[in-house]
Amino acid sequence: MRKILAVVRREFVERVRTKWFWIGTVLGPLFFGGMILFRLLNGEHSGVERKVAVVDQTTGGAGARLVEGLSASLERFHFVRVPASPRAVDSLTDVVVAKNLDGFLLVSDSTFDVGSVEYRGSNVSSLADMEELHSTLGRQVFAVRLERHGIDPVVVRGAELSVTMATHKIRGTKVTGESGEQAFTLSFAMAIILFLAIVLYGVNVMSSVLEEKTTRIVEVLVSSIRPFELMLGKVVGAGAVGIVQLAVWLLSVKVLAGQQDRIAAWLGVDHSGAQGPALVLPQVPAATMIVFVVYFLLGYFLYAAIFAAVGAISGSEQEARQAQTPVTLLLMVPYLSVFGILNDPNSVSARWFTFVPFWSPVAAPVRWSASPIPAAELTGSLLVLLVSVVLVTWVAARIYRVGILMTGKRPNMREIIRWVRAG
Amino acid sequence: MTTSILVVDRVTKRFSGHTAVDALSITVPPGVIFGLLGPNGAGKTTTIRMIMNIIIPDEGRVRLFDSASSARELAHRIGFLPEERGLYPKMRVLDVLLFLAEMRGMDRRTSRPRALEWLERLGLSDWRLRKVSELSKGMQQKVQFASALLHDPDLVVLDEPFSGLDPVNADVMRQTVLDLRRRGKTILFSTQIMEHAEKLCDHICIIARGKKLVDDSLNHVKESYSGRHLIVAFDGSQGGADAVFADRRLVAGLQDFGAYAEVELAHGADAQDVLKSLVGSGARLSRFELAAPSLHAIFVGLVGPDAAQAKGVVHA
Repeated sequence: MRKILAVVRREFVERVRTKWFWIGTVLGPLFFGGMILFRLLNGEHSGVERKVAVVDQTTGGAGARLVEGLSASLERFHFVRVPASPRAVDSLTDVVVAKNLDGFLLVSDSTFDVGSVEYRGSNVSSLADMEELHSTLGRQVFAVRLERHGIDPVVVRGAELSVTMATHKIRGTKVTGESGEQAFTLSFAMAIILFLAIVLYGVNVMSSVLEEKTTRIVEVLVSSIRPFELMLGKVVGAGAVGIVQLAVWLLSVKVLAGQQDRIAAWLGVDHSGAQGPALVLPQVPAATMIVFVVYFLLGYFLYAAIFAAVGAISGSEQEARQAQTPVTLLLMVPYLSVFGILNDPNSVSARWFTFVPFWSPVAAPVRWSASPIPAAELTGSLLVLLVSVVLVTWVAARIYRVGILMTGKRPNMREIIRWVRAG
Repeated sequence: MTTSILVVDRVTKRFSGHTAVDALSITVPPGVIFGLLGPNGAGKTTTIRMIMNIIIPDEGRVRLFDSASSARELAHRIGFLPEERGLYPKMRVLDVLLFLAEMRGMDRRTSRPRALEWLERLGLSDWRLRKVSELSKGMQQKVQFASALLHDPDLVVLDEPFSGLDPVNADVMRQTVLDLRRRGKTILFSTQIMEHAEKLCDHICIIARGKKLVDDSLNHVKESYSGRHLIVAFDGSQGGADAVFADRRLVAGLQDFGAYAEVELAHGADAQDVLKSLVGSGARLSRFELAAPSLHAIFVGLVGPDAAQAKGVVHA
């Protein structure tokens, strides 16, 4: 036991001493800080002004009425009506290119007859701009059409109402404060973290195994500690590094999110007009946190054991990189299925993902965050995963034990199976 | 007092078709320097790995310190320097020593002063906080000796300890081995360089193709081969010496070292007949003596075909 702890300690200390650990640890908060900055400086919360021209090809003043209505309901946008002329589009395009204008709308009679309108601009990729413009246009066109049919403009104005829909998630029997967007962000963030953490720290185990194998120091180690204990110590040590790094990341995210006003003030961004902070951290219910941690640990152990075996059968970094690709792809399957699982968390395929042990470490927490998994399914999933961890570790340990002492070419599948079967 | 430190009892190991070690038995008494000799591929490293519990014999067993425990369980009493030596290149020198001492069952508080003492003794004190990869090869080898001996083991197993050492470090190694024996420790080492074995060993065991050929004290081995070897050196013309050496009735084996040759007499041949034939053939001799054979000559005589294969290494 003391020897296992010594291996854990070495693995942890040596890993923490590398510059990559520090780069990785600092990169997390930097990335998140960058996200906050991005949200502060761009998009809906900073209230960036937009200048938009409206090329009016309508007959009968509907265009002017529309510009009036748009200006009244969209404060952030500054609309200018331009009468239609053969050269209008070309000259406006030049103005947009010169960055004196964000874009222009092409409004004609058909806008009011069949609802078609065209926008050309430099900001078309801003989802917030387009969303706002689109929905406001819809309402204004609707109002103009009503007026055309003789409805009193005062009545129409009174009926104009923009509806905001708040989304709240129901978990169990409770309505939570979690919004739909937050729930999605949380699920997606969890999938990214689970996938990255399992692969990154699993690969660390692999390269550590490989280092001992290629330097042949493993012979000295194996003469004093059982190969299984050595492998266990490595897996736990590299995992501990992972947990520390994750903790630093999560903590820094929390701290940074709490300091958004200060960051905004420091940058001189007027943030006071916006509703709420630029980035709202999702509330993480305790149960979700527990499910996340349990699946992370089991998933990490499952994959770390596989990565240890991959390191043991490889003779060099290149060989190991090749051999680890299928393992990484295996874990990528649930990662790429996150959208599907979130769309319908109780579908047959989402259930499958919960039960396949190589997929459940990513898929189950994501599914849980979208909709609690029935207790029986959760128990079953964990049981399958746990049994798999034990079995895979057992097989991996046997491959590891023979592999670390092998030199020369990489063994083929038949040889590996023989290693596993030979007691 | 134990009767033997190490007993290897009819141990066999096969690797996919070929038998690396074939029913080998050796017994190492306490306080001796025991040499395990053999050409390349004789099974020395495999034997040592089985002793160290790194691989498990297919048949037979290994018994250490008269106990039923394995080398792994007795790690704190055994020092081990494997044939292919390595250290963690990115670790600091002192940390490597402390970690390997932990693997041998020492706690860090006890091992720390001893590690510092070893580094001092080997002249590496200033390097203790450097990374292993910054050390020269010779320095790394010293760190490896230290790691094998730090926990003051009763049995030290060294696989090819002299290979790759420069003369200065080889001398450090030799002094260390002798010093260990003086302190009552037992040393088992393997080598294919007979000069080293001849200078150090109390007892030798020569193996080839996994089988034991000789297992006796060095003195007995040399005695049993004495009177059957001649040292012959020429002063200019060799005359028809080649024909004389090729005569199987007189000469059983020949080691030509250039400056002189070591001749093994054929069974029942008389040294005087060889002398007569040489002089008769017109060779001018500068030296002709009956000699105790070198271990090298005995070794080559015993493992002839194998040795021919490994000649380059034997002479290295």
